Amino acid sequence: MSRSTQAPKALRGAGNWIDDRFHLAKTGEKNLRKVFPNHWSFMLGEIALYSFIILLLTGVFLTLWFKPSMAEIVYDGSYERLNGVTMSEAYASTLYIDFDVRGGFLVRQIHHWAALIFVSSLVVHMLRVFFTGAFRKPREINWLIGVAIFTLAMLEGLFGYSLPDDLPSGMGVRILQGVMLSLPVIGTYVSMFLFGGEFPGHDIIPRLYMIHILLIPGILLALIAAHFMILWHQKHTQYPGTGRSNKKVVGTPMFPGFAVKAGGFFFFVFAVTVGLSAFVQINPVHLFGPFTPTSITSGLQPDWYMGFMEGSLRLFPNWFDINIAGYAIPTGVLVPGLVIPGLLFGGLAAWPFLEAWITKDKRHHNMADRPRNAPVRTGLGAAGITIYGLLWVAGANDIISETFSISLYALSWFFRFAVIIGPFIAFMVTKRICLGLQRRDRETLEHGYESGTIQQLPSGEFIEVHKESSTDTVHVLQSKEPVERIVVDADGVDDNGVESPEKRSLSGGLRSRLAHWFTKDNISFEGVRPHSGHHLHHGGHSEETAAEQPAATH
Amino acid sequence: MKWITARRRHPLAGYVVVILALTLFGVGYAYLAPGADRAEAQTLAAEATADDEQTDYALGRDIFTQSCASCHGDAGTGSQNAPDITDAGAAAIDFQVSTGRMPSMNPDAQMPRKPPAFTQDEIDALITYYEAEIGSGPAIPEEVPGTAPERADFEDEEAYEAAHAEYEASYEAYLDGAEDVEAGMKLYLTNCAHCHSWSGEGGALTDGKWAPELHEASPRQLYEAMVTGPGQMPVFNDMTITPEEKQDLIAYVKDLQAEPNAGGIFDLNRIGQVAEGFIGWTVGLSLIVACAIWITAKQRAHD
Repeated sequence: MSRSTQAPKALRGAGNWIDDRFHLAKTGEKNLRKVFPNHWSFMLGEIALYSFIILLLTGVFLTLWFKPSMAEIVYDGSYERLNGVTMSEAYASTLYIDFDVRGGFLVRQIHHWAALIFVSSLVVHMLRVFFTGAFRKPREINWLIGVAIFTLAMLEGLFGYSLPDDLPSGMGVRILQGVMLSLPVIGTYVSMFLFGGEFPGHDIIPRLYMIHILLIPGILLALIAAHFMILWHQKHTQYPGTGRSNKKVVGTPMFPGFAVKAGGFFFFVFAVTVGLSAFVQINPVHLFGPFTPTSITSGLQPDWYMGFMEGSLRLFPNWFDINIAGYAIPTGVLVPGLVIPGLLFGGLAAWPFLEAWITKDKRHHNMADRPRNAPVRTGLGAAGITIYGLLWVAGANDIISETFSISLYALSWFFRFAVIIGPFIAFMVTKRICLGLQRRDRETLEHGYESGTIQQLPSGEFIEVHKESSTDTVHVLQSKEPVERIVVDADGVDDNGVESPEKRSLSGGLRSRLAHWFTKDNISFEGVRPHSGHHLHHGGHSEETAAEQPAATH
Repeated sequence: MKWITARRRHPLAGYVVVILALTLFGVGYAYLAPGADRAEAQTLAAEATADDEQTDYALGRDIFTQSCASCHGDAGTGSQNAPDITDAGAAAIDFQVSTGRMPSMNPDAQMPRKPPAFTQDEIDALITYYEAEIGSGPAIPEEVPGTAPERADFEDEEAYEAAHAEYEASYEAYLDGAEDVEAGMKLYLTNCAHCHSWSGEGGALTDGKWAPELHEASPRQLYEAMVTGPGQMPVFNDMTITPEEKQDLIAYVKDLQAEPNAGGIFDLNRIGQVAEGFIGWTVGLSLIVACAIWITAKQRAHD
């Protein structure tokens, strides 16, 4: 029966050759058999990786012809409409890529679409990690690396958008300079330093080019490598299910199964990106025309990932602008341009540590949380999405106003209120939904699922027959970690009337109150035995009442 | 029916019903809602053309009393509903009436462009009456090509073809006559784009107003708008921007609009980054995530 599964001779030869020199056989065997859990949401990060590879490849292609120079020339080239127009060499070389380089237009569009998809896949990947609690110990460092990648990706996109020196490029750089100038004391120095003088000067594009093609991609590459090495070392989290535990991963081995899946997925990502680039026009720089400092146009936005900053700049009022000893502090730019994004990203970076501090959870977590089982975290995530999303949409307020014929003023006021009220509503609604789902989980665990079959009992009573859920469902439902409700009473004294030592410090008191808030509504699964409910076993009434109040009986 | 019966308890059935109902209401409303402005405009036009015998002056007077005087007053001095038009000039009248903005159905709202209520001959008659009785102001820039001739205004195909060819020739000649692309671009991007946007797509203004899109506007209408400053728009008279510069500017925006979309068949209405981001998420990322779901679902359980 058992046939020896020896590799073909040629492969063996090559393998032995390598093994003789690097002793890779053992490492290779271990790593090629490494198991990856299967779930579609575990592939979101891969989208980012593949888009990044597409960006690197197309970016190299573009650098072959792009001239990062602000030297003024008179255009004389294939794009006849702009013949005779004075423009920078950067813009002219972009036109050259579009109209004279074979395939150049397509590659530029692939580069741009891949950038949009890269950042959006970072966002959905990050949301998946957040809502499943995959950032918890031991993965906090990888979360921080992720936040850094996200921040750098936004900057990278902004700088890349600024390179062709077309009309929106220049406007984007102008806003960037405006935000810099709003920095108290150092603002003008920072701006003069970056631009090498007054705006726009002749240095900004070569400098942004260096940052865009060398500095940030280099850092990104290093961070991505670190991200993967840590992931490899710590192993991927997995969703609860039969046979899975904190100590045991169930999934597909790296080779051949996962490698084939991941490799195939690369081509899907590439196909969608190229398909979009072939059919949907993006950032038509040749139509915009070159940037001059006097030019300005309505109806232009930054790329989507800067949209929330655009929105916060558009919404924030100038009521708090102040003058100190004749020096203006333009809070109307400073707060929305730097403080609000700083708070959003700072909050993201700090959250794993904040949650660990609140819950005093020092355990290792290799199982992903189901979002409903951490209602406060899920609610906070929804609130964050709401703030971000509203700011993002507000960045397009003029387009929305024009497209749907809504007054711009009305829209701005709506967003100003919504961005403050919205997160609270989102938090409450999400938390309630989570708690409702928890209750239903307990119900399903206890009673099985509704079969739709109605039965009449000898007594004349009608009941719906519940059937036992599959073992896998039971495993998933039972995965809910017992969260003790941390109760804080009014004075923080225990049964013996002794004040808890933690309560005495200010931060300790805050922590215990937060912990109470974090856990107080959790539905307890304690003492719930699978399928012990009365609909399955038509027993006496005593069992029925016991089943209905499982927490109370234990 | 069996197909529906089997699926009516599907978790998504409720959403499907709601979406269908909304679509039905939406389409039904769009179909049944009266096109009041168009209907009235058509009757006015019909009445006006019926009277071939009248002189320009008499025809113009009839149009003025029927369609203008109720708001602008018999002497054109205006009322609380409408401004004084005694110094508006022929250019303003030609602009407002030929773009369909006047006669207006609602004096409180900004009027969108719509099919004009009167033919060019009737507008000319109206202007004859206006110049004789009401007032004067900037004249129509006759040398700038106006609206293309319409088939309905001609007896036979041949006459229409000839008139159309003549119009096309004058249109091309006007755009080609623009000397300086760069001047046109700079003038447009400095003076026009911050309301009408770089592509002439239009844009939102403060206080519920908007800057209209410029795609359908003829060169003459663009010129007239500049010299008369309709609505929120400032006046750019021939001293501020000379007729040659106006020609450069108009040629720039019209050439830009005629430009094909080199980047792909979907131009997203040249709205720009908002539309691109929307497509990037709803088409790009969604398709990729759908692929991820698909290949994970199709994977064999243990390999």
